[in-house]
Amino acid sequence: MDLRFTETQEILKKMARDFLTTECPKTLVRKLEQSEEGYSPELWKKMAELGWMGLIIPEEYGGMGYTFQDLIVLLEEIGRNVLPGPFIATIASTFPILEVGTEEQKKELLPRIAQGELILTTALLEDEGVFDASGITVKATPKGDDFVINGTKLFVEMAHVANHIICVTRTKDGTAPEKGITLFIVDSTTPGISCEVIPTTAADKLCEVRFNNVTVPRKNILGKIDEGWPIVEMMLRKGAIAKCAESLGAIETCVEMTVAYSKERVQYDRPIGAFQALQHIIADMWTAMETSRYLIYETAWMESEGLPCAKEASMAKAYVNKAYKDVSKWAVRLHGAIATSADHDIPFYYRRSLAADIAFGGTDFHREIVAQKIGLV
Amino acid sequence: MDLALTDEQKVRKQEFNDVCKELEKKKPPSYLGFETIYEYDECWEYNLYCAKEFAKRGWLALGWPPEYGGKGDMMDRVLFAEARGYYDIPGVDIFGVQMLAPTLLQAASEEIRREFLPPIARGEVMWCELWSEPNAGSDLASLSATAIKKGDEYIINGQKTWNTGAHKGDWGFGVFKTDPAARKHHNMTFILHDMKKPGITVRPIPYLDGHAPYCEVYFDDVHVPAKNIVGQEHEGWAVVNLLAGFERSGIDIIMTMIRGLEDLVKFCNETKRHGQPLARDPLIRNRLAQVACELEAARALAYRVADLQNRNEMSLMDASAGKIFFSELGERFAFLATDILGPYGQVKTSRWAPLDGLWERMFHDHFVTSVSMGTNEIQRNIIAWYGLGLPRIR
Repeated sequence: MDLRFTETQEILKKMARDFLTTECPKTLVRKLEQSEEGYSPELWKKMAELGWMGLIIPEEYGGMGYTFQDLIVLLEEIGRNVLPGPFIATIASTFPILEVGTEEQKKELLPRIAQGELILTTALLEDEGVFDASGITVKATPKGDDFVINGTKLFVEMAHVANHIICVTRTKDGTAPEKGITLFIVDSTTPGISCEVIPTTAADKLCEVRFNNVTVPRKNILGKIDEGWPIVEMMLRKGAIAKCAESLGAIETCVEMTVAYSKERVQYDRPIGAFQALQHIIADMWTAMETSRYLIYETAWMESEGLPCAKEASMAKAYVNKAYKDVSKWAVRLHGAIATSADHDIPFYYRRSLAADIAFGGTDFHREIVAQKIGLV
Repeated sequence: MDLALTDEQKVRKQEFNDVCKELEKKKPPSYLGFETIYEYDECWEYNLYCAKEFAKRGWLALGWPPEYGGKGDMMDRVLFAEARGYYDIPGVDIFGVQMLAPTLLQAASEEIRREFLPPIARGEVMWCELWSEPNAGSDLASLSATAIKKGDEYIINGQKTWNTGAHKGDWGFGVFKTDPAARKHHNMTFILHDMKKPGITVRPIPYLDGHAPYCEVYFDDVHVPAKNIVGQEHEGWAVVNLLAGFERSGIDIIMTMIRGLEDLVKFCNETKRHGQPLARDPLIRNRLAQVACELEAARALAYRVADLQNRNEMSLMDASAGKIFFSELGERFAFLATDILGPYGQVKTSRWAPLDGLWERMFHDHFVTSVSMGTNEIQRNIIAWYGLGLPRIR
């Protein structure tokens, strides 16, 4: 047992921190949140040059061939800087291509993803807003060598700038909800697709995507027809761990900023950090950070080693969801009125804690998975 | 990051588990957690029996240097603690094996080590701790019991309190003022003494459930050989801090709770309310799942503390955070379990008590972890002051 980062991971971490500190100041984050695109194409290009989009893509497909654990290290740094953009959406959509994609799909997509030429996203949720298979009603109907997709997907991250959308569809009715689900890789320029950005707390460009008689060739099926739900579960599992790592970085920043501010802000002739009323809350914030950290690292290690970790991933997501909201809330409270201002940096973290909570499954969704995995009938 | 066990570690883990599983079968019916060893004679006998079983395998000296009879490494200690915790087996003296032995190895003279370590490893001598006083709890440095040197002896006078198992302990380690005129933190010495010496009176204190695992101890001209000290004379505060630094990761306590959760899940699957198993109640599912998540978080942090200890590094912050977290999780878990059990949650061990009355017991025993070993409020101060460098008002 050795819970330290490897040398490679330390280098990756330092490189990412230096790069994001310089290239992604909060002035840029603020600008991007207000922009239509929600990301910076120049920054995206530089990230690709550093190999980030191809980090976990094998070298034979033009990637870096790093592990899932290494990705977690990078995401923690991205979370510290609240980097806006389609990074997690693209990475999460890469998971199924890596795992179940055909050789042709891999050869066509992976090198271009690694180069930063493609933005990907996944269209899962619909109007019920649930993360289980019963919520999937968007239909894909066979027509000759093609399929035709009809229906509306919601909360599709960065779909408005994505080149490809992985669309989770229903291809067969009348059986258990998990049966008859099929994933398609859909070119977002296909006629019949329209997209609208939904205004959200984190200004993270979640979209409504309407599919109106969208024709997709059969070869664009990702995985097996009617057997797509386990792929979705895999994406949710890996995505949940990835999101947790991003949240951990954000939690770290909240704790660091709060500690620093409580040392410099003077009231009653002393730094407010000298008051135990604040000290004990800060100690609890720190404890929430450390419990989150090692729960995430443990789970990421399991995922990296290919060990079954659906239970641990759901435990981590359910736990970190709450930790991030609690810690960022306390960060606002301990800063006081100043941190309720849109000009302050702490609100970035507080607003994103809600988005992070929902992404890849909310707390109760993951607790139910945990309930099943600990053996409740 | 690598949490994998080596093949050798897997073998030893299996051995630890096998032995503990066998010992579980010999538990007396009154045994319900480690405090009960101090409350029922048959539980104390069971404790001594388990100690002997562990001693003959060398497991009370895991991680010690070989010259003192040591065997294995720190990771073995973690794996052993997991097994003991899961099956809730006593026999590893918290005070002798877990607290004093590592302190002796680091701070005692060769003579003292040679004298006191072997009986600990053999499971022969049981220890107790004599630190707190009526007016020196969290502010331990303001203690007032004295040990005044006279020739080659110290003469101890004064009162100690909240001494777990002092009525059972053979020997005690305490801190006493040896230079009352000196300034705070440089006026006390860490002294080892025989609990059966004339002048020592031990009085059990009834705990809130009526049992008495804790004691108060009176010293009336108790003579102790002057050689029986750890660290420098008058510098006992440094030894106290050293000992406190050998924080336990809490992995044994966490594993006991993980086992408790498994048993509670089984209970919910088998017990019907409103015509269906309790396990089908969405609220119960959600609340049990939350505790499961927190237990996993506690376990992950305990591994972090253990990992640091394995490399002889120390993180007071992580140890404090872990202690705060698992002890308060114990409170939440006890409240949840007694909620689920309803009227049965209040029943002491008897034919009406589900799960042997464990949760009635946990409802009040959780204070043992949140109040002792430095209250959680003190742990929060440690994180804030020493860890994060927040200013301290004196």
